[in-house]
Amino acid sequence: MVDQLPNLGREAEMLATMGMSSMDDLFSDVPDEVRIQGLLPLPDPQSEEEIIADARRLLGSNVALGQRVSFLGAGLYRNYVPAAVFQLITRGEFLTSYTPYQPEVSQGMLQAMWEFQTLISELVGLPIANLSLYDGSTAAAEAITCCVRVHTRKATQKDTVYVSELTPPDRMSVIENYCQGAEIKINMLRHNPDGTVMLSSAQDAAGSCGVYVEQPNPIGVLDGGLPLLKEIIGPNTALIVAVQPVSLGLVEAPGAYGADIVVGEGQPLGSPITGGGPIYGIFACSKPYLRLMPGRIVGRSIDVDGKEAYCLTLSTREQHIRRHRATSNICTNETLIALMGAMHMSLLGPEGLHDLAVRNMAACTLGKQKLSAIEGVHLPHASSHHFQEFVLELPGKASECLSYLDGVGIVGGFDLHRWYPSQPNWLLVSFTDQTQSNEIELLAAHLEVWATSQGVTA
Amino acid sequence: MSHLFDHHGASGKGYSQPAPVLPASELSLPDTLVRKKAPRWPRISEPEMVRHYTWLSKRNFGIDTGFYPLGSCTMKHNPRVNEVIAQLPGIADIHPHQPEHHLQGLLSIYHEMQYMLEVCAGMDQVTLQPVAGAQGEFTAVRCIQEYFRLRGEDQRTKVIVPDSAHGTNPASAAMCGFEIVEIPSRVDGRIDLDALRAVADETTAVMMITNPNTLGLFEADILEATSIVHNVGGQMYYDGANFNAILGITSPGLMGFDAVHFNLHKTFSQPHGGGGPGSGPIGVKAHLADFLPGPIVKKRPIVGDEAKHAVDDMWFGWYQPTHSIGKVQQWHGNAGAIIRCWAYYRRYGNGLKTMSEHAVLNANYLRHVLHREAEAAGVGDMIVDGAETKVAKHEFTISLEPAKERHGISAMDIAKGLLDMGYMAPTVYFPLVVPECMMIEPTETESKETLDTFAIDFAKVLQVDAETLHAAPITTPVRRVDEVYAARNLCLRHPYDDE
Repeated sequence: MVDQLPNLGREAEMLATMGMSSMDDLFSDVPDEVRIQGLLPLPDPQSEEEIIADARRLLGSNVALGQRVSFLGAGLYRNYVPAAVFQLITRGEFLTSYTPYQPEVSQGMLQAMWEFQTLISELVGLPIANLSLYDGSTAAAEAITCCVRVHTRKATQKDTVYVSELTPPDRMSVIENYCQGAEIKINMLRHNPDGTVMLSSAQDAAGSCGVYVEQPNPIGVLDGGLPLLKEIIGPNTALIVAVQPVSLGLVEAPGAYGADIVVGEGQPLGSPITGGGPIYGIFACSKPYLRLMPGRIVGRSIDVDGKEAYCLTLSTREQHIRRHRATSNICTNETLIALMGAMHMSLLGPEGLHDLAVRNMAACTLGKQKLSAIEGVHLPHASSHHFQEFVLELPGKASECLSYLDGVGIVGGFDLHRWYPSQPNWLLVSFTDQTQSNEIELLAAHLEVWATSQGVTA
Repeated sequence: MSHLFDHHGASGKGYSQPAPVLPASELSLPDTLVRKKAPRWPRISEPEMVRHYTWLSKRNFGIDTGFYPLGSCTMKHNPRVNEVIAQLPGIADIHPHQPEHHLQGLLSIYHEMQYMLEVCAGMDQVTLQPVAGAQGEFTAVRCIQEYFRLRGEDQRTKVIVPDSAHGTNPASAAMCGFEIVEIPSRVDGRIDLDALRAVADETTAVMMITNPNTLGLFEADILEATSIVHNVGGQMYYDGANFNAILGITSPGLMGFDAVHFNLHKTFSQPHGGGGPGSGPIGVKAHLADFLPGPIVKKRPIVGDEAKHAVDDMWFGWYQPTHSIGKVQQWHGNAGAIIRCWAYYRRYGNGLKTMSEHAVLNANYLRHVLHREAEAAGVGDMIVDGAETKVAKHEFTISLEPAKERHGISAMDIAKGLLDMGYMAPTVYFPLVVPECMMIEPTETESKETLDTFAIDFAKVLQVDAETLHAAPITTPVRRVDEVYAARNLCLRHPYDDE
């Protein structure tokens, strides 16, 4: 710890300056009754070398996806992030700064975030984006509470929203936690057997405060019916669409078909999966939501000399000013990860994004071809379109299939039984730009062996 | 100026990609699903992109650039080995849905972090799931809300916060659906026990308070405050934003608190990244543990053939609390931040107290020399203590009210003057209870020389005439930014030529 504390060994000198004689004098205001006696029951301090050795040992015992063949996605995806992003992000001026309360010395991050807002705005087809929320789930939750604030006065179904019934339970749980305080009623938006939204269910949502759907949805289906939704639910009901941002290289931007708020897990653009965090949540919206939206926003302005300058704006929505009337409690967000996203988006450019989306979808399409050919395995949503993942209905339990595949070095996907208890045999297989043809062949070969073994025992 | 959207290179490929595994022509999407208009992103080559972001970085001030005494934010040095560790594939390239036997290393570190935070805070159970301090507050208040609901105490609809509280406290409690009762602080900046007694009753659910408080003062009456709230059946919540002042010296548990959040990015030095990410685990006493968001990591001895995956002959597994409120983030918290903070804590181990002692030593030393240098320069009367106290904790406040009254020099003017001297400005105008407030937190990672020099430079700024200070800063990339103009002429994205 000596290397971290420049004044270690100089305590006496500094205390003497203040007319004190011991470190304890600094804590004379802490009553004896609340004092900790003795040392904390923790291990001895370690040197940098010992720490990194322990980190390598412990983290080395984890199975990194790169060591295996992996088809696990389900909301987080292993896309390649270019080297320049990791190099630039270590610049201390970015890494070790904080929220730009003093804009004159924070122009770099402010401009970078204003550019991020533009990149996201263009990506999703809406005019406004904030500088990130914590993740896709909190972005979804904040979008829902935001749409209630905006619409409930005129709504015929007050304080009511409709959320896709396919929404994964973990994401749903976050939404419920954020909604319960405002007493928001959450109704389920039903889906057809092919995975698309049931438009008659959408009609029920007309007059509510908002509808939350995902594109592609949690079972990987690209829903061609979504462009019809806005007309069905009407202008006073918000259409909230959660996206996988890479898909927007091929798939229509939700802003173009009437989405009012677009959210999503930004992670595939700019960030490794990192065990699920830190990643960043995308939040973009149209003008009617601007003054009641959550999170920080950068505006372009001028300085006293009329020079181009950037600063945080519309802060009166936020907790440090509005306190309990704030639109959200968020303070610290995911700026650095959003910056990684901006860097990745910059390097991609529109054509690069298109190519990246094609690579993801191509791997998925090849996977569909190969895996659907396996006897005993079928695709319950085969008639629908998929971007990068789809459901395989197996001849036995998905959990057992995953164990088998794990034994041969394949992370086979996600057991959908964990989301949908009535579907023990559903496996969600995911493909990214990192998926190789031979990996798909390998999965197909082993799945065939496992499926055959199920046929034998059945 | 360097502008990202000025780049319109022909290829639009800043990095090359391999060919897809199937040609694009074999992919099919119906017209309703196909994107019609590509995003108007820049077309930039890697060399241009690297130069753009490097240029931007040079227009940004971080701890690495210079002294960053931003009160309440704990801008301490971020050890670089932590960054190296966080990039190891065993953390960067793992998925939260992988099975337990793939993640024993991560889970053991989670378990160690839970234990370490429990020990430091005097709490019985920690969850690492909340991803920022404000989310930790929200999570803990939600747990208490469900605790009362299960007990049938639905009449507890109010949350008490002092007027000096961080804005996130009332915002988080309001998000849970509570009514906020704000109580005034005493003239000396401490909690007003009479004001607390006057509002605490059977409708009280929680009192949220930070100690040391936002003025950097230790609330010596904390046990009395705790007993007032507990006597009416309420719960005490500890805002851990200032936990870095008391680690190993006292703990929220000893002070009688029922729940606490930790700002790992402050106390345990996860880099602040220009505004995030953070990490905001919470700890609770046993009676609240069943309500925590899951999963939490528990350990047990290994059985069967688990040894081949296990670390240290223990099995670490996810566990779901019985009455869990559910989740507040979809995954397992900010794992990458938690790893960095683990590396940070390992450096101090049982010596974490030394970290807090030095944070407090530096704050008190700076407070002393700041006033001393101002006196020596004949401008000592321009500043007064934000709150009278013999000792401060990890931060202290001063009021520029005399400067404002006599010379028309505001706290913001001084802040801008400090920018011209090459410093990040302290926090200004918070807490709200101190007029013309400046809140200064040097942290333990600044040397005595830096503090001495800052004190001298601060006194120099106090000597600058009002007119010059009103015009400050003049040496920064831009001068005072017009925030009113920004709000009145909203420009929230690049204006394309056809707009």
